[in-house]
Amino acid sequence: MTRMETTEHTALVPDGKARQFNFVMEAKSVITFPSGGQRLATPGFYEIRGLAWSGRGLIRRVEVSTDSGKTWRDARLQEPVLPLAHARFRLDWRWDGREAILQSRCTDETGYVQPTLAELVRVRGLNSIYYNNAIQNWKVAADGSVHNVHV
Amino acid sequence: MSTCRLWWSAGIGVLIAIAGVWPAAAQLPTYGVGRPPSAEEIKTWDLTIPPDGQGLPSGSGTAVLGTAVFEERCASCHGETGEDPKYSRLVGGQGTLATDKPVRTIGSFWQYATTLWSYIRRAQPFDEPGSLTPDQVYAVTAYLLHLNGIIGEQDVMDAKTLPLVKMPNRDGFVPDPRPDVGPASSQPKR
Repeated sequence: MTRMETTEHTALVPDGKARQFNFVMEAKSVITFPSGGQRLATPGFYEIRGLAWSGRGLIRRVEVSTDSGKTWRDARLQEPVLPLAHARFRLDWRWDGREAILQSRCTDETGYVQPTLAELVRVRGLNSIYYNNAIQNWKVAADGSVHNVHV
Repeated sequence: MSTCRLWWSAGIGVLIAIAGVWPAAAQLPTYGVGRPPSAEEIKTWDLTIPPDGQGLPSGSGTAVLGTAVFEERCASCHGETGEDPKYSRLVGGQGTLATDKPVRTIGSFWQYATTLWSYIRRAQPFDEPGSLTPDQVYAVTAYLLHLNGIIGEQDVMDAKTLPLVKMPNRDGFVPDPRPDVGPASSQPKR
């Protein structure tokens, strides 16, 4: 047994037990534009872009929300989409200049849907560190600046 | 290469890896780079010690002998007793794993004493990994087990005794249950 199998690829859950031999990266996606540290100069047309991947195979679908998860639209997947590889997604978006929370949510070929952080915390608690595949939230502020936020 | 073939090749690779056998003329694509490692090269990398201690070399050490080695080679990053939270903490934390602020150390979290030996030999000290002799590794291992209240100060750690050490969190691990959210989850929902 290696140290990595003991202290890193394990997840300590609230009952004090540690889940062991965590090696699969479950379905995950992240919007790379607009993302933290970037700035939208003016309201108007933008193409939201990002990456999705799954340790269980192919990415089948990526949805994007620009209203903090209230509504979702299907993003376009850019070929090639290959198993265990990053898949590029794109979605047209018109920013109206008001604060917006951007999220992406992917589904892989097993039907697994990328969860929210709240869903993960409910089953894993706050001391599970690796393999955080939660939905990422980017806040576009009214001044166009983009920040990492929890919602 | 089609997706199908890619999967097939990956599948064969996984099967071979599981079986632990690499056929001499593997039916896998070659890329014209690299060469198979020699037996000697594999030996220098094959340093993992399983829980039963297989592969532990001869040599021995006690906590008393380990104190000096630890002070000289380890304390600058881990503190004199391995307990100071401003360093990488190695000692303490037993009974905290089910609390809001769990402290994961060798004593509170690690499953097997052999892992400690294996890791110290391969990766410590940070500035000169692999430089400790087997006797020194046994001694530092004994010192850390002693600081965690697991063995006595004079208990001799060697290839026979080390695998017999029962770590406090030995039974604290469960298999990965993921997917743990969504319809495929086997986890009860609150």
